[in-house]
Amino acid sequence: MRGIIEKFNGMKVIKWMIYAFFVLFLLLPLFSVFLVSFTGQPINLLGSLVNVDTLLSTMDKLKNANLDYYADMVARSGYLGALINSLQLSLFVSLIVILVCIPIAYGIARTKMPFKRTISALCIIPLIIPTFISAYAFIIMFGRAGWVTYIYQGLGGQDMLIDPYSMTGIVLVQVFFFFPYALWPMVAAFKVSDVSLEEASLNLGSKKYFTFLFITLPLALPGIISSALLIFTVSFSDFGTPIILAPKDLSLIVVEAYREIAGFFNWAGAAILTVVMVLVAAFFFWLQNLFVKGKNYGSVSGKPKAQKLSDNKKVNTVLSVYSLFIVSVPLLAMITVFLQSLATTWGLGPLPDGYTLENYTDVFSTSFDNIRNSIILAAGALVLSVVIATFISYFVVRENSSKLDFITTMPLVVPGIALGIALIQTFNTAPLQLTGTALILIVAYTIRRIPYMIRSTTSTMRMIKADIEEAAVNLGASRFTAAITIIGPLLMPGIAAGSILVFVTVIKETSISILMAPAEWAPMSLAIFQNILRGEYYTAAAMSVILVVIVLVLQSLANLISRKQSQ
Amino acid sequence: MGSVEIKNLTKKFGETLALKNVNINIEEGEFFALLGPSGCGKTTTMRCIAGFEDPTDGEIILGDQVVNDIPANMRNCGMVFQSYALFPHLNVFDNVAYSLNIKDLKEGGFLNKGKVYGRMLSNKLFSYPNHIKDKVNEILEYVELDHLSQRMIGELSGGQQQRVALARSLVMEPSILLMDEPLSNLDQKLRHTMRNTIRRIQQDLGITTIFVTHDQEEAMSMADRIAVMDQGEVMQVGTPTDLYSNPSTPFIADFVGTSNLLKGKAESINNEMFVNVDGNQLKSTYSNSTGEVDVVIRPEHLTIINDEKDAGSFDNVIEGEVLFSTYLGSIVRYDVKAGNENYLVDTTYNSGDSIYQPGTTLKLTVEPERVLIL
Repeated sequence: MRGIIEKFNGMKVIKWMIYAFFVLFLLLPLFSVFLVSFTGQPINLLGSLVNVDTLLSTMDKLKNANLDYYADMVARSGYLGALINSLQLSLFVSLIVILVCIPIAYGIARTKMPFKRTISALCIIPLIIPTFISAYAFIIMFGRAGWVTYIYQGLGGQDMLIDPYSMTGIVLVQVFFFFPYALWPMVAAFKVSDVSLEEASLNLGSKKYFTFLFITLPLALPGIISSALLIFTVSFSDFGTPIILAPKDLSLIVVEAYREIAGFFNWAGAAILTVVMVLVAAFFFWLQNLFVKGKNYGSVSGKPKAQKLSDNKKVNTVLSVYSLFIVSVPLLAMITVFLQSLATTWGLGPLPDGYTLENYTDVFSTSFDNIRNSIILAAGALVLSVVIATFISYFVVRENSSKLDFITTMPLVVPGIALGIALIQTFNTAPLQLTGTALILIVAYTIRRIPYMIRSTTSTMRMIKADIEEAAVNLGASRFTAAITIIGPLLMPGIAAGSILVFVTVIKETSISILMAPAEWAPMSLAIFQNILRGEYYTAAAMSVILVVIVLVLQSLANLISRKQSQ
Repeated sequence: MGSVEIKNLTKKFGETLALKNVNINIEEGEFFALLGPSGCGKTTTMRCIAGFEDPTDGEIILGDQVVNDIPANMRNCGMVFQSYALFPHLNVFDNVAYSLNIKDLKEGGFLNKGKVYGRMLSNKLFSYPNHIKDKVNEILEYVELDHLSQRMIGELSGGQQQRVALARSLVMEPSILLMDEPLSNLDQKLRHTMRNTIRRIQQDLGITTIFVTHDQEEAMSMADRIAVMDQGEVMQVGTPTDLYSNPSTPFIADFVGTSNLLKGKAESINNEMFVNVDGNQLKSTYSNSTGEVDVVIRPEHLTIINDEKDAGSFDNVIEGEVLFSTYLGSIVRYDVKAGNENYLVDTTYNSGDSIYQPGTTLKLTVEPERVLIL
């Protein structure tokens, strides 16, 4: 009996440590920022726990808490304008993405359109490229000296086809680089509706386009709306695109929040913007969950039905050409970055003026530290998330710990820039002065990306039936030995797949890196960002290519592992 | 050593009472079945014995030791899981060697522990010592799987997996063997072979075995004694023949074998028992109660009177009409309606016999000692 109690307590202690981790690095910072948005001055909650003076001053600040800053925000058109612009941007992006995706999703789900596999494969590109690199790629395509502009002017156009430094530019980048997030759920949604229903409609005398509008589309609608809400949240939280492309006169909430904290150290403003960001993102996340939980997708999760695919040659060719056009834009953007990285110079012209490897040797001589930093930081976040996620999935699956499940999905809702501001606010003074250290950077990356890891380990854990563990115990093994010899090896594929995902997303991470990384720990993403700001486009391109290659290699490794796992 | 005593075992899951004061004594070397419909508490009883559930109340005694406080991994009861719960990342040999590795882990120093962990994680890293190799090979030979020792679990058939699970439990020389629905994942034909295999091994080793099943035929054909459970309670414990011929409740009569469950009114006339079932006065040799009673008659104990003239010579005669007949090969089963009661009647069928058509009026008879009054 004593043995059981000891082990039981061991597991309990670990559970409490995990709770403490999330409370300290997620809930407490968010709560602090919430308080700051009322007091207008930084609040040191941790300090208040250990120091009486700090406690008193905190009490003082709280006493003076009021709604002035919120009133200010409404009054000062700057903030409200930023919020409205951001909402507008997200609305445009989600609507356009849906319109862009409907034909592609229909084509993939319901027709025998040619080049289906190529189109699907090319859809991966936007997902692996950090958005600030895509934004930068758009500049070198559509900017004053871009090759698209060259062709446009060659055809008799005036000035530029599209100004990348504008709302239109931001919308276009987000549309072309976020559409795959919506595409796959929409493909699933289109598979819900049954061909027999459409045939019934045709049989009853309705025309084909009529059938599509009134039968196929309404059946796929819940899935489409859910995708739109997802894109809305992703677009709203995106920092990489607006920070590169937003012109001075266009304020967006993520950029505004970043400037308040990094430029002016205006805590009141940053806090209010953070609270607003989190609330908006949480609201749309909740709305989207509501749709996913609803009645849609019912027949998708079941056995795959044999689908009759349309083979109308004319329609399929049109769909295929259209889809290839959409997916080729990100590809062209990437090729452009690649060419730029090899260019000596590239003025207004279709191709670089000359080719060299000098940009790469430059990167390796000057920015090798950044590459090293990226790998060390990502590896740190990886180790931390593996340990935490493994235990969390054990608690969630075996002990049905729904509270833990809820807390650990929360980071999905918090925009990166909001998490960054909250962490800086909480940890920039004693007793836990962590701002500016590699540790807080690793913790921030971990909190932000751990939901991916948990998803991966939890789904593997669910496949390990409880009786396998019981069998080991029955054969004489203690819980600990059973965990090492049976659960561990069986969990390996899930850990491996999740690890690569965490590693990749941390290397790609923009908002946290730009906001929180100190100079001596600057990762690649921050270095590229600074190069772009300084106008050092050629080294930025070379480093972007290196980053994408690292991501690409790891991603294909992850796919390989998950394919092996599912076999 | 191998006896099992369950004393006043009660188990609650939150507010639901899963086991109500269960008392069972199992003797050393006995093959004992826990039989009952799903949700009756038979699996919970077994899991309490194995140590996977803590009893809310009561005692479990293995041999002469109360084991309530002994953790599951120290109880030395081998268990064969319903799903077999074989380790999918290990081959047959490593699966069977698992408990021997664990035993090895408890002996020797740090170096030895490292070695054992090493070979449990990868059998290519460290080789097994001879005493384990010999023991595993011996048991694999015994269950006729020695030729498959290097196969992965996924490459085996259901019957082979079942035998690996059995070997894995037996190799640890458990004081008792627990089997949770051991045959439920096998197809009909294999089930019959495995029944014999399990019975043979149990007799051979003389190991006390408790197995859980919902299949009465399985329990009847394999077990020395059976405990019938329903809604967390033990209804009756006895040998298969006991349960069949002297069921203590209508539930058992219905669950064990097929029966005609009838309502009747019993009365004693001149020291003889009679029971009135919907107008038919039946004589019975059972005399436990009078008034409203349950009457049980097994289908094979009802006989059709072929010759009208003989009818007067029987004690009990029931007249009814054939509703339909079911041809089952060696027997024909009739559904006969007599008054408001339906009777199942089994008759042996010899080739060439004619089968009564629906609508035919029949006279049935049953011996007084076959009319059970409960």
